[in-house]
Amino acid sequence: MKIKKLLISSIVCIVLIITTLPLMTACGGGADKEGKTIKLGITTPSTGKAAEKGRPMEHGQKDAIAYVNAELGGVEGYKIEIVWRDNGYDAAQMSNIVRNFMDEGCVMFSTSSSAMMTAAMGLANQYGFPGLAAFSSPNLYRPPQHIYGQLPDYGDDFLAFMNYYLDEVWQGSGKPKVAIHALNNSTGKGAIDAARAFADEMGITILWDGAEGKAFEHKADTISEMESLTRIKALNPDVLYISSTPAPTALIIKNARELGMNVAIASGHAGFTSKLFELAGADSEGVYGVFPTVSWGDDVPGMDKLMEYCGANHPEDAGNGDYITGWAQSLIMIKIVETAIKNAGYDALAAGDANAWAVIENEGIKKLVNYLVEGLHGPVSYSVGDNRLSKSVRVFQVVNGKVEALTDWINAPVVKYEDFEWFGQ
Amino acid sequence: MAILRTRTHWGLLIAILVILFTTPLYLGNYWLGVFNFIGITLIAATGLNILTGYCGQLSIGHAGFIAVGAYTSAILTTRFEMPFLVGLLCAGLMAGIIGIIFGLPSIRVKGFYLAITTIAAQFIIMWVINQWGWTGGQLGMTVPFASIGGYVFRSGPSQFYLIIGITVLCVFFAKNLVRTKVGRAFIAIRDNDLAAEVMGVNLTYYKLLAFFIGCFFAGIAGSLFAHWNITLTPEQFSFTDSILYVGIIIIGGLGTSVGPIFGVLFIRLLKEILTINVVPFLEDKLTMFPSGFASGVTPMMFGLVIVLFLILEPRGLAHRWNLFKASYRLWPFSY
Amino acid sequence: MDFNWGEFLQFTITGLSVGMVYALIALGFALIWKASSVANLALGQIVLISSWFTYSMLAQAGLPAYIGLPIVAIFALFLGWVIERFALRPLIAQPILSLIAVTLGIGYFLEGLITFIWPLSTAALPDLFPKEVIHIGSAVISQEYVWVIGICLLVFLALTMFFRYHRMGIAMRATADDQMAVQACGIPVTRVFSTSWMFACVVAAIGGVLISSIGSISHGLVETGLKAFSVVILGGLDSFIGAIVAGPIIGLAETYGGGYLTEHLWAGVRDVIPFVIIIIVMVIKPYGLFGEERIERI
Repeated sequence: MKIKKLLISSIVCIVLIITTLPLMTACGGGADKEGKTIKLGITTPSTGKAAEKGRPMEHGQKDAIAYVNAELGGVEGYKIEIVWRDNGYDAAQMSNIVRNFMDEGCVMFSTSSSAMMTAAMGLANQYGFPGLAAFSSPNLYRPPQHIYGQLPDYGDDFLAFMNYYLDEVWQGSGKPKVAIHALNNSTGKGAIDAARAFADEMGITILWDGAEGKAFEHKADTISEMESLTRIKALNPDVLYISSTPAPTALIIKNARELGMNVAIASGHAGFTSKLFELAGADSEGVYGVFPTVSWGDDVPGMDKLMEYCGANHPEDAGNGDYITGWAQSLIMIKIVETAIKNAGYDALAAGDANAWAVIENEGIKKLVNYLVEGLHGPVSYSVGDNRLSKSVRVFQVVNGKVEALTDWINAPVVKYEDFEWFGQ
Repeated sequence: MAILRTRTHWGLLIAILVILFTTPLYLGNYWLGVFNFIGITLIAATGLNILTGYCGQLSIGHAGFIAVGAYTSAILTTRFEMPFLVGLLCAGLMAGIIGIIFGLPSIRVKGFYLAITTIAAQFIIMWVINQWGWTGGQLGMTVPFASIGGYVFRSGPSQFYLIIGITVLCVFFAKNLVRTKVGRAFIAIRDNDLAAEVMGVNLTYYKLLAFFIGCFFAGIAGSLFAHWNITLTPEQFSFTDSILYVGIIIIGGLGTSVGPIFGVLFIRLLKEILTINVVPFLEDKLTMFPSGFASGVTPMMFGLVIVLFLILEPRGLAHRWNLFKASYRLWPFSY
Repeated sequence: MDFNWGEFLQFTITGLSVGMVYALIALGFALIWKASSVANLALGQIVLISSWFTYSMLAQAGLPAYIGLPIVAIFALFLGWVIERFALRPLIAQPILSLIAVTLGIGYFLEGLITFIWPLSTAALPDLFPKEVIHIGSAVISQEYVWVIGICLLVFLALTMFFRYHRMGIAMRATADDQMAVQACGIPVTRVFSTSWMFACVVAAIGGVLISSIGSISHGLVETGLKAFSVVILGGLDSFIGAIVAGPIIGLAETYGGGYLTEHLWAGVRDVIPFVIIIIVMVIKPYGLFGEERIERI
């Protein structure tokens, strides 16, 4: 009898909690309905495998919108309302989140990771719901549809770094040999596709793992890459290029150092963050990295506000490049909304329906010309047939424990991956 | 004995069907999406219930078999341009066959050994999907919406009717299956497989049949998922989901026909409400905790619910339902 | 092409050392199985939560290792006691399916709890071991792995001795054999169970500290825990010697497989090999190399 009472009371408790919480949230949000708002959908992997990137991006995105609402009075006088959902890096969750955004009347949505946008893009493209992915890979917008990339993709990283390497570092004769260690999702795939498309043109030899197009691969939760690195070492590479997230990147760098590999190690922008330096410690010395935003504390117009908000709201993110990316992503979305309001008026966007989405795309995104994102990353413009909004990256290197910029903004070329027969196969 | 015995039964059935098929009138696209997903999950859970609840063969790799179905259907409809219905059927068959292959060890082992085998099955299946060219590998693939004879199930309500229609069929099939010779053989195997064998139940045949049927349902669910979600990536079929399916049938009530329905409704609605309402709410209001903590609430709740049900109500919500029915029938003389 | 012996040596050493990591986790599994015939599927999560706790003690609270690590051990004992007392004990004499499912539920809960308390997803432990690598011929092995191997053997020895000579160990073996008979002899079965869980959690915590100092603390430890099941399956569920022997076998199979097959097969072969081994063992020799074959009666 006692057990049954326990069960019943626990179930009642759970049900009560579940039913009351949403009510409370509903009451909290009610006050905003007076003013006219624009809704933006934001989803970040704030938990799960990619949380070390997702969390600072979430904070950056939210803080930027708080800044615009509080200090600039919103966009053209209209406040921005955020609909934020954690996707937990769970692809099965994404389609419902996108549906939720569409139902809530968001005018557009953004994701942090390319993997989550990959899971979302089927629906978004079907309904013409514009999406902005901070980190992207060629499969998202080749061929271009309704998904846009905030930053150059993982393929562009590779090309930018190799160009820099060939111009400035490579001293030997003949073609440098490049081994790619790729994460087993779109993050790694982007670099592989670029390498495959451009190796001959750039004059480098890619060390494939067997067949062409098959790079050395790792999982997000690997605990030892000694085996794959031993095989890479046996091939005598000049460059080890890692396209992955920070934790595996750190492990690969550590293992490569243990094996005494004498190569230039480079990381794509998904892995080249403060978390990497924390995890890899002294081993990260000398590692090259490509990053599409400025470094923390650089002298650019938007940095003061960003640091002020970060210090006040999320001091733990200080120095994190992903926070900057998130902040910039929000600024771009706001700029898009602003452009759309200027060109088509608020009423066209108010409903947040299919018409509003089309307006956002045609009158907002496609009218972006040389927006500087307060200097936080390369300029943002739309050019026909290329859904990457910003096309520039910079090459960095860890020198004496500090990240130093080696180059100015390098523009990455448009690659028509869909023209290659192997793309997407 | 008929499933429906009294007028009240008929009345209830008709009422439920009417409510079910008019749902799109009251619900927005988003909640329809949630209910579509509930329907798909229910098909898979019904399959797992046949395999685990009735036949006693624990499978912790169900998400892998769902993935087999999803990709089979996706490949057939995109690369071979087969109609959706063919894809749906082949998805079920393919998943069933793969299920038989990984169910082979069940002839020799059971209990924990079998559980581990199915875990291994999940990882092997997902590896193949991740690496095989036809599946689009890690980038996944885009799948067309379901269509029958030129009609495309594009809008929320049309998808809802398709999915709920197939779900009702599957649940009805499962309900009837366990009343047949096959179902009784399954139950005999679950309760004591050696005794069942002595009594003349062909263990090999029925165990593999249970795997086939359970995974066939998983395949159907996978196919519907593919054509509803229209993007497939390997990450959508995680090991965590496999555990969740086991949790669903435990919470609902193992080896009961209404169990999966309760379990799926409970878990999916809980998950939806937790991720959409509770997590952002907690994250906003409780700022003294490190940010991001609230997302731990969902798995914690699930784990807790599974453990609590096992300890306090191992027969699941279905048992509660029966008690409720009994007390309703006996009222006002409850003893 | 000549056979590359240097490469082979490196593969062997890496395989052995990674295999010992699996063996260490597998010991914790065998410990519980031996005492109570419960399959602990929450192993990976227990490893993970003790790693995070270590992180809290050593990195966040800044305690020195000689204070921090004993606290971690006490935490692990407590965790084991809590799990046994509140989740497993109410289920004594329930069907195996419930027992498996309850550990799955515990795993789920612990994963949520980890996110709840440490929403970081990944972090690095402070260096516990010297960083210099050890050279064996042309191959290298990092010192952390040497420690893993040493500690794993120690744990194995301690457990074997304990089960052979200590009263509690003998009681545990007896309990696994026949709960009813043991109870009739006046052995406190519940205490046997809780002791075995407490010990198993300590073993898991040792594993957690070692593995996370090799790489980083991340969700991957859960899958490492799953791979360790291939070790217990191959070695036999109730055998410590089985775990110690099968661990390196799995580790070697993984690295050799990865090293020599990846070129010819799909990428990621290495990670799927333990699971293929599970299937093969199931079909050929389900009770493992050293496991006790049980004969069933009606």
